[in-house]
Amino acid sequence: MISQIGSLALSISGGLILSNFFFLFYYSIRKDKIFLNVSQRGLIAVCFCVILATLCLLNELLISNFNLQYVSQYTSYETPLFFKVTALWAGQAGSLLFWTFIMSIYSLIYINVTLRKMPTLKYSSYIMLSFIFGFFLLLSNFIANPFQPVSSDIIVQNGNGLNPLLQNVTMAIHPPTLYLGFIGTTILFVMALSGLISKSLNFEWIQSIRRWSLIVWTFLSGGIILGGYWAYNELGWGGYWAWDPVENSSLMPWLILTAFIHSSMIQEKRGMLKSWNILLASSTFLLVILGTFITRSGIVSSVHSFTAENLGPLFLAFLSSLILFTGYWFVKRFDTLESDNKIDSFTSREGGFLYNNLILLLMCFIVLWGTLFPILSEAWNGEKIYVGATYFNQLNVPIGLVLLFLMGIGPLLSWKTTSRSTLLSNFKIPMLISFFSGVIYSIFFGPFQLYPLVTCMGIAFTTTSIINEFRKSYKKSKSDNKSIPSAIVSMLFNNRHKNGGYIVHIGITLLFVGFIGRAFEVEKEFNLSPGEEIYFANYIFKLNSIKSEARDNHYAFISDIDVIDQRNNLLTSLYPEKRIYFYWNPDPEKRQPHSELDIYSTMRKDIYSIFSAYDAEKNQGYFKIMINPLVNWVWIGGIVMVVGSLFAFWPSKRRNYGII
Amino acid sequence: MNKIYTSLILVFALIVMWTVYLTNVKNDDSLTVRYYTIGELLTKEASITKVKVGGLIKPDSISINETDQLEVSFYVYQGSDSLKVYYYGIRPDLFKDDAEVVVAGAFDDNLIIATELQTKCASRYEGDLKNIEKI
Repeated sequence: MISQIGSLALSISGGLILSNFFFLFYYSIRKDKIFLNVSQRGLIAVCFCVILATLCLLNELLISNFNLQYVSQYTSYETPLFFKVTALWAGQAGSLLFWTFIMSIYSLIYINVTLRKMPTLKYSSYIMLSFIFGFFLLLSNFIANPFQPVSSDIIVQNGNGLNPLLQNVTMAIHPPTLYLGFIGTTILFVMALSGLISKSLNFEWIQSIRRWSLIVWTFLSGGIILGGYWAYNELGWGGYWAWDPVENSSLMPWLILTAFIHSSMIQEKRGMLKSWNILLASSTFLLVILGTFITRSGIVSSVHSFTAENLGPLFLAFLSSLILFTGYWFVKRFDTLESDNKIDSFTSREGGFLYNNLILLLMCFIVLWGTLFPILSEAWNGEKIYVGATYFNQLNVPIGLVLLFLMGIGPLLSWKTTSRSTLLSNFKIPMLISFFSGVIYSIFFGPFQLYPLVTCMGIAFTTTSIINEFRKSYKKSKSDNKSIPSAIVSMLFNNRHKNGGYIVHIGITLLFVGFIGRAFEVEKEFNLSPGEEIYFANYIFKLNSIKSEARDNHYAFISDIDVIDQRNNLLTSLYPEKRIYFYWNPDPEKRQPHSELDIYSTMRKDIYSIFSAYDAEKNQGYFKIMINPLVNWVWIGGIVMVVGSLFAFWPSKRRNYGII
Repeated sequence: MNKIYTSLILVFALIVMWTVYLTNVKNDDSLTVRYYTIGELLTKEASITKVKVGGLIKPDSISINETDQLEVSFYVYQGSDSLKVYYYGIRPDLFKDDAEVVVAGAFDDNLIIATELQTKCASRYEGDLKNIEKI
């Protein structure tokens, strides 16, 4: 019954979208407001129908209605309740509905808050929203319908169950967070183009789209970091980023969105780069759709891709029509995008933002080129050629280091132009500190590896420059305030945009601290029987025992390894496990092994242990140990980034209260 | 055109050209690896230092060394073509008969000595109804 309601809600929303196009068409001819209002209500109704359909699917997952194909594919009676909820986005059909669900929530906010303040954007926004909703509802209704029943000749006793890799808390929050970021770019796209089409790129528009872009950026950053965290703690290859096509497709919109957040500041302050900003804002969404195309078409081999139905051609058609639409209006309205001002000098704040844009764009190009290279090279001469992590690192690491320094240089530059004497006095201290930290680093770790050395200097430079900025504004607020705490509070809260931005930058320098660690990773694979030990990376690893245990939904072999340091102290004990899910299944093909890691994590280094195989006859375990320095700084940097961006976003009382 | 914009565009163009050069012209083995179909490789006589091949693991072809469980050989197939793969190291959890794998390594004498072994669907689990118990 519930599933029929969900299915019906999906069909109705499809029908409503169709009728919406008629209303909008009538409005374009008659210019009668009533048609615009009807189409607005139509869109709101679509949003509620989609939300209803999603709740229906959720209900079916929770009650384990295995008459639905989707429910039987991704859950079973044994699946814990929490993961029955997360199964909503575990598969193709569900994740598409979930996508539309999030789009509905965003659209409701956009229609009821943003468009209420900027009615000139309504008409073109409704057209674009209807088109985008139309596409996703087409998919959900006809191609990947989550309410499709199982074929009538079988009765399902129990479902497949959720992949054990997806059964952990990070995996439950990572996809929705990333989706909130991805889908938020829809609003940026709609808003950028409707501003362009209706010629209303005014101050209110830029402030509002900036706030939207901060929300989207926060979710996108959080989602990407969580994805890395999940990969590191769950997948067992000891890293958090592998330049996989799917990871790249989330990085590209992030890079462009970051560029937009910076260059829109120039538009807000000086009325420049209008056309550029339109391109950046709309490209984030286009890149998201491109990424979705890559993920769902299987055109590039990736460990993440969906394989069930090939949605590639449809996404390609959707993407092309969006690009054509953007291009058409961009050319048609180009004359309205003239700058109010000119850029004056290389050494100006505007210049700094432009260099930032250049670098982020370059990184995006390099990632895009590498990701699409198999397709491009195959089209070029029939040879499918992949580029590996070496390519991405070789090109992106030096460029990323320039970006690191630039984060420190930016605040030292003034708007319009910076005089030579200011430049010198501003750069003096950060340069000195950067130089000395380089010397200290070389004394302790040797100057042999260039990139870690430069990264260390960059971190010192940028941190000093940011701290200096905080010091300056603290001085200013100290002269107005008497007590130290109130001076700090008013310094932080007086210019949240700026301070939030600096906090984000500190977060990014912390990320770079973590990246240094990549240069010093070591690993070893070996086998041990209980009682044996092995010496590696200045530690003794001693295997005490391997126990086995049947648990609720799996069977586990649990190892017990003591880690003993150079002074013969017991540092920690690690208990990596080898688990067999579905072990009760008589067919060994259907059982699924899973290595549950154990990580001893400190701020200096992680000791990462994997129990990869167990030889029962010889009572011997096969292990892999990795020493990963400084990884925790990546997660801390991620948290600081998100906190900083929330700080910048939080509405301040005095001005632009609550504009989205 | 302002000279600042011009110089920015110039830098962008230079690095783009450098990227294209690295991947297309330089033919650097450490950066790129060509993807072959098994059919293509079967016709090759000469050895190739770096190849990437995808396919399914041939059922009952996995043979694990009894004295060292990290050593494995198996056949990977696409349609009717199949090719032997040798690999030493930790295998992914999803490594089993008919699993979709991507291997990369050296090709010599109809054998791939793999240095990379990846199974598909590490994060996605597209189960289908053939796995469901029927009555």
